[in-house]
Amino acid sequence: MKKIKILMVCGAGLGSSLACEMIVEEVIDDLKIKANLEHSDISSAKGYNADIIITASNFQKQFEKFSIDETKTKLIYLKNIVSKVEIKDKLVPVLTELEIL
Amino acid sequence: MDIINFIIQNILTEASITIALIAMLGLILQKKEIGRVISGTFKTLLGFQVLSAGSGIIVQVLIYFGQIFSEGFQMEGIIPSIESINGQAMTELGLGSQIAFTFLAIFVVNVIIARFTKFKFIFLTGQAVLWMATMCTVFGYFAGLRGLTLIIVGGIVGGIFAVLMPAIAQPTVKKITGSNDIALGHFCTIGYMFTALIAKFTGNVKNSTEDIELPKSLEFLQDTYLSVMVVMVPMFMITAFFAGPEFCAEFAGSKHYLMHAFLQAIQFVVGIYVLLAGVRLLLGEIVPAFRGIALRLVPDAIPALDCPVLFSYAPNAVIVGFVFTTIGSVIAMLVLPMFGLAMILPGMLTNFFAGGTAGIFGNAWGGRRGAMISGIAHGFFITLLPALLVGIFNSLGFINATATDVDTIVVAMLYAWILMPLLTMSN
Repeated sequence: MKKIKILMVCGAGLGSSLACEMIVEEVIDDLKIKANLEHSDISSAKGYNADIIITASNFQKQFEKFSIDETKTKLIYLKNIVSKVEIKDKLVPVLTELEIL
Repeated sequence: MDIINFIIQNILTEASITIALIAMLGLILQKKEIGRVISGTFKTLLGFQVLSAGSGIIVQVLIYFGQIFSEGFQMEGIIPSIESINGQAMTELGLGSQIAFTFLAIFVVNVIIARFTKFKFIFLTGQAVLWMATMCTVFGYFAGLRGLTLIIVGGIVGGIFAVLMPAIAQPTVKKITGSNDIALGHFCTIGYMFTALIAKFTGNVKNSTEDIELPKSLEFLQDTYLSVMVVMVPMFMITAFFAGPEFCAEFAGSKHYLMHAFLQAIQFVVGIYVLLAGVRLLLGEIVPAFRGIALRLVPDAIPALDCPVLFSYAPNAVIVGFVFTTIGSVIAMLVLPMFGLAMILPGMLTNFFAGGTAGIFGNAWGGRRGAMISGIAHGFFITLLPALLVGIFNSLGFINATATDVDTIVVAMLYAWILMPLLTMSN
């Protein structure tokens, strides 16, 4: 199984994306799967070619303008980017769709 | 003795090595596998070098900008940038190791306070702690502290702020998020409380910013680096225009002087971008390690996180806060020189992050009208405070920059105006 790449995104790519990454890591560990986790700023997000991008819902309109190919990169928007429950609820269906789970 | 000297001269005073060792310690304590320990340690080391490279780029641009500004307007024009202050202190002034140890000390004091008092906040915004450690070290050094004392005092002052700031913001954070699971860990909190106070008296909570439709053209402001560029380009070009082609030729060479100014403005953003990419590498391993350790020692800890965790709760308020804080900072830029202070240009990164959060606080206490009025007051406030420190920064050898993030500025003032006079008296 190929290791998937998940990218967490916030404005400067420093604080809240890392906070989000730490919670995603917990979820991934609970699910007993392996993934490459990275965090970055919104300007460079498109260039990463991640399998999944996780970001806050306030960035949704920005991401819609980036014309990201959603067959290659799945987008997940969170209201509370550090909520383990919300992350799990939204990440599991995507992982199932990608046949990781 | 030789070995001890070697360690002191080549390891403990070499900031990149010190920080990499702190990261290594964190990874080992978390019992990560050996490959992860090695890669994490080297990533941190790489981060410090990238940060230094970014700082070098910024300093070059600041030298240029400082000169054309004083030629063009016959006064000092200071760029507020805590990133640049940190970069210059770590590299040019050689305080990197002390900053790294103070960073570690702040975390230790934070965990001790959270473990033994009812304030359970663990401050996990790595870059904010780095800025706090920078200001504690720089101003402790300015006040005459050296060696271990410098680090311990910095750790205690910074550690207290790391618990106190999330604590005073928590009632409002609860109001915004509707829960007590997360706290706000951002050293601009005194500014947010000031904003909340103004908004409470000028606004009306019933009319929220979230009920209005904002113009679509403002959405690009969410793209942080882009919005820095949008302000820096006209600032640089107007300044170069007033400095005139002859003066600018010294820097521009054969290039047209306005084109050169345009490229220098972009170069400033490049410097910030590179520096923050360095910070990202530097802290990517340390922060999760700190979190792992803190959660084991303080099981009921409330993580204090970076301000954008609140942004999705009131996205309109973020834009309103950003725009009105910028208006306030432009007013302050024009007004402060009339009182003999330096001209402080709008610091767009702070305006965005602190301004956006201030907007959320303003909206929580005073609705849309409160957010707008308090936003202007906030912009003025966060420009006035750094203006008061310009003289000290200049005397320490910083190039054309002052700090942002008001909590770190208040700490600096405690050092310069309270601790230093006390030290001088006792001598």
